[in-house]
Amino acid sequence: MGFVGGHQQRGDLVLSAERSIHIVFALLIVTSLGIMNAFLTDQFQYWYVANYSNRDLDVFYKLSGLWAGQRGSLVFWAVLLAFFSSLCVFLNRRRNREFMPYVVGILQGILGFFLVVLLFAGVNPFEQLGFLPVDGAGLNPQLQNYWMTIHPPVLYLGFTAFSIPFAFAMAALLKGRTDSRWIVLSRRWTLVSWFFLANGIIFGMRWAYEELGWGGYWFWDPVENASLLPWLTATAFLHSIMIQENRGMLKVWNMSLVLLTFLLTIFATFLTRSGLIESVHTFAENTKIALIFLAFMGSIFIASVVLIVHRRPELKSENQIESFISREAAFLLNNLILLGAAFAILWGTIFPLVSEAFTGEKIAVGPPFFNRVNLPIGLVLLALTGIGPVIAWRRATKRNLKRNFATPVVAGGVVVAILLGLGARNGYALWTFGISTFVLTVIVVEFWKGTRARARIEGEGFFPAFLHLIARNRRRWGGYIVHVGVVLIFTAFAGRAFEQEIRKTMNPGETVTVASPFGHTYTLTYEGMSSSREGNFERWVALMTIQKDGEALGAMSTERRWYPSRETMTTEVGIRSTLVEDLYVILADVEDLQGMVANDPAAQRIVVQVMVNPLVGWIWYGGVILTIGSLIALWPAAEIRKRAGAGAMADSSQETLAGAAPA
Amino acid sequence: MRHGRFYVGLAGVALVVTYLVWTGISDSMVYYLTPTELVAKVAEDPAFHTVGVKVSGKVVPGSYDRGEGELVHLFSVHDIEHSEVTFPVVYDGVLPDTFTDEIEVVLEGRFGEDGVFQAKTLLTKCGSRYEAAPEELDDRGTTG
Repeated sequence: MGFVGGHQQRGDLVLSAERSIHIVFALLIVTSLGIMNAFLTDQFQYWYVANYSNRDLDVFYKLSGLWAGQRGSLVFWAVLLAFFSSLCVFLNRRRNREFMPYVVGILQGILGFFLVVLLFAGVNPFEQLGFLPVDGAGLNPQLQNYWMTIHPPVLYLGFTAFSIPFAFAMAALLKGRTDSRWIVLSRRWTLVSWFFLANGIIFGMRWAYEELGWGGYWFWDPVENASLLPWLTATAFLHSIMIQENRGMLKVWNMSLVLLTFLLTIFATFLTRSGLIESVHTFAENTKIALIFLAFMGSIFIASVVLIVHRRPELKSENQIESFISREAAFLLNNLILLGAAFAILWGTIFPLVSEAFTGEKIAVGPPFFNRVNLPIGLVLLALTGIGPVIAWRRATKRNLKRNFATPVVAGGVVVAILLGLGARNGYALWTFGISTFVLTVIVVEFWKGTRARARIEGEGFFPAFLHLIARNRRRWGGYIVHVGVVLIFTAFAGRAFEQEIRKTMNPGETVTVASPFGHTYTLTYEGMSSSREGNFERWVALMTIQKDGEALGAMSTERRWYPSRETMTTEVGIRSTLVEDLYVILADVEDLQGMVANDPAAQRIVVQVMVNPLVGWIWYGGVILTIGSLIALWPAAEIRKRAGAGAMADSSQETLAGAAPA
Repeated sequence: MRHGRFYVGLAGVALVVTYLVWTGISDSMVYYLTPTELVAKVAEDPAFHTVGVKVSGKVVPGSYDRGEGELVHLFSVHDIEHSEVTFPVVYDGVLPDTFTDEIEVVLEGRFGEDGVFQAKTLLTKCGSRYEAAPEELDDRGTTG
């Protein structure tokens, strides 16, 4: 309807299309509330509720029932999509009217697709069992974790928010307005999506680290990869749009990136839901959904490519790359490498399918493949994080290079030398620490220069100057802060090279000692086991007292839980975090749980696996810094002020006014 | 120049990534087989005993036994479709929480000459990890 309205310049049709988005949003809210209510009031006559909840379940997890399983999560996806669509329509009710009819049309299309899936793919969350079970089957205990409860919604927010940039890009093509206006309009949406994706991925890592109990946080599982792919391409897009804004280049590239990212967000849900690729995370297989999704992705791909090719003459570059040593080139390299990484990960993920199709034999690649390919790629990317922001546009001179990079390169070198002196020998880790130092120095120097200049010119104190500096160009300085977060996360990855692990069978009173790479040792004494019954599970807790270099640090525990409603055992690791490392204790085996309850001392023999995970906490700290940086860059005030002040933006606000009455 | 150089750069990055992917795959790829396929392969070519493979099957009910020593686990797996094809497995490591009879496991390791599969890694996998099968509720009583 939006399309027709836009084409015929019929204001009434456009308005009605926009209202339909709000209505769909309202109706989906009602649906979601219905599901949540069914969970809260234990209405086990519904198949979905009976399978994901029981009476004993904590209210917090009952609420999360909305996205715990395939059926609810599709509704949840649709409601988030409708929320963003509705918000977009509302925010643009008076602005950018020349785009809106098409934007609304695209969003209606995507929403329509998800509603069709919901209605016709046999995933009705309100399906009745035909009888009323006494109690539900309960929620999978591994999902009963705080991080797992917020991980899916945050990830879904990221996935669905990217529909808006896609809608704007397609609207620009349909309308034939191919200057960088659509980019300016969708930039913030892209950042919103990117921000949620990043956090969603990090929350997922946190969950895996705390709940799955193997000491790691990333397994290169197909579903993990699927969430990483759109994040990589969205990162590429966030950077390449700066080239288009500043130099009028890469227009076709940007269109393609939007399309690719959008398709990858759909691919991610497709992969999770179809069961097409072996993964430990998938929902049940559903071939009907797989086919519908394939058809949807195929038609979007074809339609978008046709549109891009059709507008090809208007998407010509206004400028050319002048030198390989320039900011354009650095950004371009960053883009190519991000895409390369995405391609490599995608290829590794679908490799079993491809090899089966061509040779008839299923061949899999595991984490070694992904690590091998992505380590070198990641290092170059990390280096570009430092190079990109300060290298000159067009063509960097020797002087520019020397002035900006001499100190950081030396700083990186010094850190590597110190670490070598301390006995660190892992090549990749040393590179990572060196490059991280380089990048951090670049950023710190930039902040320092900016603040000093401002303090001098405005006569302000150092600290106010620092804050005003950030406020003046939030996008730039927010971006730098995000880079700091990314550097911390990379450093944390490198920390895994120095992980320590020891396994021991222990009787009460015995000790185990593990050495930290930071030079001290931990001694753990196994004090004994206790068992108790709580909420919806029984627990067996092994109590340990810890000493660091002989000095008592107190107690920690590691446990096993039994959830009778699902007849499932889970292991809850004990984690003791400090700024630089985690002591991670897994209760790997218990001699005899039942005998333990009967107070038989021999039954208290356990096997523990003790790990020291250096720097792992930096991922979470990095995530927090990344969040702060993104929020600074997202904060709306900067743009409004800029629009009012800068002459360059004046024409765009005129356009906004001119476009306000499309009808 | 202009476009020329740009495409050279593009081709360069593409080549490097392709190289990394190619060598990465050839160095870390493993056959992913069902027990039936594995048994057939080994019968055909005994050299297969020394090649690392990934195999997925289900744990034979009642076959689990605690081995001698720390965290040594003995059990048998059977083919999901042809349940008569089965072989014993030795796994040294922490068992996933979801390990139980009839669960689908993905093992990575070698199928030794003695007919015992030495598993280096063990993952449990089942469609019902997040999605319970509808039949699960059938044996729970109904009330009006």
